[in-house]
Amino acid sequence: MTYPFSDEHQLIRDSARGWLSTWYDAAAKLPKIYDGGLGVDLAAWTDFAVQQGFAAISIPEAYGGAGLGQLGRAVIMEEIGYHLFASPFFSTCCLAADLIEAFADEATKARELEAIAQGAQIIAFADARALNAGRITGVLDASVADKILLAVPEANAIALYLLPAGQFDIVQNKTMDGLRNHCSIAYDGLEGDAFARCAAPDFDAVLRVAQTALVHESVGGAQRCLDITLDYTAQRVQFDRPIASFQAVKHRCADMYIALESARSAALYFAVAEAHEAQEASLIARGWCHESYFKVAGDAIQLHGGIGFTWDYPLHYFFKRARHNRALYGSPQSDYLQLAHYLTGTDG
Amino acid sequence: MSLREEFRDWLTTNLVGDFEQIRWRGSPGDEDGHAELRRQWEQKMGEAGWIGIGWPEAYGGRDCSLMEQVELNEEYAAHGGPGRAGHIGETLVAPTIFVHGTEAQKHKFLPGIRNGTTFWCQGYSEPNAGSDLSNVRTKARLDGDVWVIDGQKIWTSLAHESDWIFVLARAEEGSKGRDGLVFLLVPLDQDGIDIRPIRQMSGGKEFNEVFFDNVRTDADNVIGEVGDGWKVAMALLGFERGASTLGQQMQFRGELAEMVALAKQNGAFDDPSIRARLAKAHAGLQVMRMNALRMLRGTAGPEVMISKIFWASWHRDLGELAMDIMGDAGEILEDGTLSRLQKIFLFSRADTIYGGTNQIQRNIIAERALGMPKEPRGKA
Repeated sequence: MTYPFSDEHQLIRDSARGWLSTWYDAAAKLPKIYDGGLGVDLAAWTDFAVQQGFAAISIPEAYGGAGLGQLGRAVIMEEIGYHLFASPFFSTCCLAADLIEAFADEATKARELEAIAQGAQIIAFADARALNAGRITGVLDASVADKILLAVPEANAIALYLLPAGQFDIVQNKTMDGLRNHCSIAYDGLEGDAFARCAAPDFDAVLRVAQTALVHESVGGAQRCLDITLDYTAQRVQFDRPIASFQAVKHRCADMYIALESARSAALYFAVAEAHEAQEASLIARGWCHESYFKVAGDAIQLHGGIGFTWDYPLHYFFKRARHNRALYGSPQSDYLQLAHYLTGTDG
Repeated sequence: MSLREEFRDWLTTNLVGDFEQIRWRGSPGDEDGHAELRRQWEQKMGEAGWIGIGWPEAYGGRDCSLMEQVELNEEYAAHGGPGRAGHIGETLVAPTIFVHGTEAQKHKFLPGIRNGTTFWCQGYSEPNAGSDLSNVRTKARLDGDVWVIDGQKIWTSLAHESDWIFVLARAEEGSKGRDGLVFLLVPLDQDGIDIRPIRQMSGGKEFNEVFFDNVRTDADNVIGEVGDGWKVAMALLGFERGASTLGQQMQFRGELAEMVALAKQNGAFDDPSIRARLAKAHAGLQVMRMNALRMLRGTAGPEVMISKIFWASWHRDLGELAMDIMGDAGEILEDGTLSRLQKIFLFSRADTIYGGTNQIQRNIIAERALGMPKEPRGKA
């Protein structure tokens, strides 16, 4: 057994990896998704979520899920990152699911979480506190969503709405990453009631943990970059030797491995953290994992030489994803600055 | 009462009086102070049965599991337990004897370690056998019922305070590399042994040169087969990782806490770049802890190979951060001696060298964890 995973986790990993590896098709799928422009493979998502049942992984059993918690989620997110699977798993099964589970009443939870677990709906999350020139940007999967979970600041609370996506003006952004559905949305009045109101610090604590699921995607992506690099350097011959035999190359690969495995430890530390250390663990994992992914992806391109810089070689997709992950919810530097508050026992 | 609580109580009751002055002392970089007190402390630990807790009861141990040993190590470090004068005997020599020694050797050598009365040092490196350890030249020849040893070892920590040394020597004339070596246990208190301390850049003298001129040890004091010394020597290094890892991390945690307190007090904490570095150091500690748990709780995979370079590099960065927090005040030797933080700064330059340099660690990771081609060997 590989701590902290159980045999059951391992079975799920094997099964997800098998399915995703077919989808990935030796990287042939990535340019198709990029050229398709949507940033989501909806047909594949239906199969993955409904037939394979992966949407249910970390939804509690009481709401029709598999109840495999943070570690189950870690397994799926890692595999998604390893294959750059263009899916709404993160927006729907992590962000929206966690917010609904934490703040909705029982009836709403039963209805919405069960629909998520069945793969029957896509929910995008939008935070109206980040309004910029009347629009909320960085809303993942909004243009393919059935509903928008909207957080609206009020005088002494955050109001949470779950509304049909049709109520919103949604524009999908063309992005550097290109394999993610990234939108900016606007709304003109809200037709419907808030399903919950909560204190901002409580809301932020839940949101931060939900967002941190992305660290596992970074670990999976870094693993893929290292694997691709080890394959390539073993085959590429220069000066009559595989370049993998040169110490300059070996030492860079060793450093990539150190970055990868330390990131895996940071991500697992977060995944097994008890409630009282979840915030701290979340900042540590975010800072460490996204920084490591970016380093490993950059090193992978460097060790490939010219071929790594071409569009037809898959590394650039991983490099761009690494860049996006480290920017999506604040930089590693800002994570560490927030973490500094925990060093002296005062609140972040 | 759990074993951990029992140990905590014992420490509270016993790490007092004269021993108070060696609390928090004696970690690497600080091993040459209070030698006599630390030997007495080791004996006290032995009398109370806190040495060799993982050994079988038949040899005076308590049969503790690895996780129990980890817990006691954490407890010890959290309590400021002094660096253990007997750690080489307990963590390196004893496990090697358990695996490769004879029953007679177990009865001869284990009690001194278990009771905290016999102290050991490691005779591996030589002037021309550092990273390339298999290049050892120290010679051993069997003369009747004794081995006779001639040669030189270097970087031998605490030789001047030890009773015995384990020596990797060349037993077959003309042999090269890993073949023809022997692993010998040698008493230091005899004519022909010359121990010369080496003063380090941190000012202390933990390391020594050890010269062997017609030095003798009983024919029985060979561990493993003659010619198989390399195998035994490598097995011993494998025991270096283990239960003490988390104890070391408790020590690191204490150092970081001291730095945070100082930064708050002298205003350095107001500088966001210092704050971010302190936070990243804290994050690194949690990563290290999880690295260790993955190693101790699961089936250890190749990822264990990152642990040495990771902690060593982390600790060196910590020393540099300590100096940046202190600023110009870090230049001043209060009471004419190095403070704890100044010692960390200077001694951590050794962390990335001893026990396999960062460069050797990268070779090991590349070749053994990642399966990349081996370094070509020279023909000299």
